[in-house]
Amino acid sequence: MKLINKLTYWIMGVVFVVTPFTMTISYRSIKSNINKAEITRLKDVTDKVAGQLKAGVPPQQYMLDRPITVKEVTAMPVDKVQTRNYSFYNAELKRDECRMDVTSYYNINNKVYAVYTYNYVTQGKQIIMGMIYALAWKIGLITLSVLISGRLVSKYILSPFKQTLKSIETFTLGNKEKLVLPPTSTVEFKELNSFLQNMTDKAVKEYAAVKEFSENASHEVQTPLAVMRTKLELLSETEINAEQAQLIGDMQYSIEKLVKINRSLLLLTKLNNSEYQTTEMVKFCRITKDMVKALEPHLEVKGLELRNHIGSNIPLQIHPVLAEILLNNLLSNAIRYNDPEGYIDITLTRTRLTVKNPGLAPEVDPAILFQRFKKSNQCADSVGLGLSIVQQICSVNNFEVNYSYENNEHIICVDFGNEAVTEQEAVVVEQTFFNNEPVIA
Amino acid sequence: MQFRFVSELHFIFVPMKVLVLEDNPRLGASIHDFLVREGYSCELADTYAKARDKLLSVDYDCVLLDIMLPDGNGLDLLQLIKQENIPSGVLIISAKEALDDKIKGLEGGADDYITKPFHLTELHARLRAIYRRKNPAATNSNIISFNEINLNTDTLQAYINNQLLDITRKEFDLLMYFVVNKNRVLSKQAIATHLWGDYTDNLDNLDFVYQHVKNLRRKISQLNGTDYIDTVYGLGYRFKGAEEVQ
Repeated sequence: MKLINKLTYWIMGVVFVVTPFTMTISYRSIKSNINKAEITRLKDVTDKVAGQLKAGVPPQQYMLDRPITVKEVTAMPVDKVQTRNYSFYNAELKRDECRMDVTSYYNINNKVYAVYTYNYVTQGKQIIMGMIYALAWKIGLITLSVLISGRLVSKYILSPFKQTLKSIETFTLGNKEKLVLPPTSTVEFKELNSFLQNMTDKAVKEYAAVKEFSENASHEVQTPLAVMRTKLELLSETEINAEQAQLIGDMQYSIEKLVKINRSLLLLTKLNNSEYQTTEMVKFCRITKDMVKALEPHLEVKGLELRNHIGSNIPLQIHPVLAEILLNNLLSNAIRYNDPEGYIDITLTRTRLTVKNPGLAPEVDPAILFQRFKKSNQCADSVGLGLSIVQQICSVNNFEVNYSYENNEHIICVDFGNEAVTEQEAVVVEQTFFNNEPVIA
Repeated sequence: MQFRFVSELHFIFVPMKVLVLEDNPRLGASIHDFLVREGYSCELADTYAKARDKLLSVDYDCVLLDIMLPDGNGLDLLQLIKQENIPSGVLIISAKEALDDKIKGLEGGADDYITKPFHLTELHARLRAIYRRKNPAATNSNIISFNEINLNTDTLQAYINNQLLDITRKEFDLLMYFVVNKNRVLSKQAIATHLWGDYTDNLDNLDFVYQHVKNLRRKISQLNGTDYIDTVYGLGYRFKGAEEVQ
């Protein structure tokens, strides 16, 4: 539930709960004031009558048209003025009436007179009816104004909060950018912003430190690896016997594997670091065709059939190096885990790339294979980072990658999520870093 | 001159002078040993300052430049080479595969770029390529010859006894790699990296190297060429130099 709705409900709830009490208080206050005023008026009348009695003027003149009774009583009561307020049914008019009786006692010429008079006053029911009518208007107006002003004011008051939310939403650690939050005069939002600011600044700092560490670590490993590799090369040039050659060969094999792992980890770190972000469009179809061509000899060696459905003019926003690594990893996997005399089916459209190949069923859940160092059909040469890299490349470029196994087929599908790219946007990037022909000695 | 095979390497008239700027003494020693055995005149520098002094006093054919140095950045030295119009070729060695470094280096006037960890034979091949480009006169045009084998680096054609050898681009590269690194043990990994680059990690390239070598040997012997390629058990291949061949 929205904050403003909660507040609205709360305010309305308070209004509804408090209203009966305020109504009772109002009713009592109004009623008693009406009565007091009436009593004062009637008392004035009896006082007048008593004055006339005192002066010996026959009261009839004053009593004309007025319900006044003068009686001689034996003794003076304690209350010189007695009032009675009551309702009754007026059979003549066929309605309820409310009457106020006032009896005043006067001592005139050693005789005690009781002067009695009455008047009709406003009924409680009528007062209540009026109040309810007013209440209906009041509640309606309050509800309306709370609803309208609440929405208008909340837009204004909550706008820093909403901007903060937006900022957090677009905030990513990998960007190395600090979180920028809007200024606000609300204390709570100030606290929230300062808390978020500190938290994200710290996270950014530590994330950068971790990144730097893993990248530096990978780089630092490169030199010792180079030393080992070159020393073994030099060692293999010396006078060695077959046994020693085998030992050197095994060491070389392991070092190569180490080199591959390190290189892959470095690549993953760099991908996380968003080092390969680009705004350029590349002709993905061109790169795919080149890659397929480069791998054709591998297909021939393995006796695999190529089922090529690569569309043309397919521009994509991706760093050319990443495009090549992505394709190389997918196609290499398809070659590696294929059936003997199998096939590779490559379909490339504007929206997706699908690579299908027959092969043994994976021994583990396909989704797990995207994790680092997870392998299915254990293959000695495989490092287990290929699909992690594929996934990372896809996530960096906002592609979606799916792996499934159906009808004895491995199916990897990369969804580009770009339906709206037009041909004009395509800029051919011929520069490729990956499949460079080796230099000529 | 320390040339063992001067007759075959007739495109080199003077020993190539190489300055190696590498702060890791062990790696520096590896490169030094390899290049000296290859008949080059090689000097080592382990700091920016030393390399600077050497560059300003001696002419080198080629400089191997490590980018990360304890007392400076190798790219600054590149600037110096440009400013002083030093004619040396420059091969950058970097632990960083960052494209930034690569592009900065090549824009700054470097001739090529190699990332650690590299194979010495790969380093050699690239060094030789730079040397050939920088000294077209000294290297006797675009032909690399070895006995009956002639390789034209412009047209990418190979000849055995003046007959055109029908080989693919990869096989040409392979043959060239062998000829340049003759008498060296070339591991399958080194060949795979040379032919397919650093990123083709996922492929069963080692089997594929075998296929390529097999095809190349077959094609050469079809033209009655000598089979110079030896299998070194457990390690890889070696292209036998003249002294071992009858």
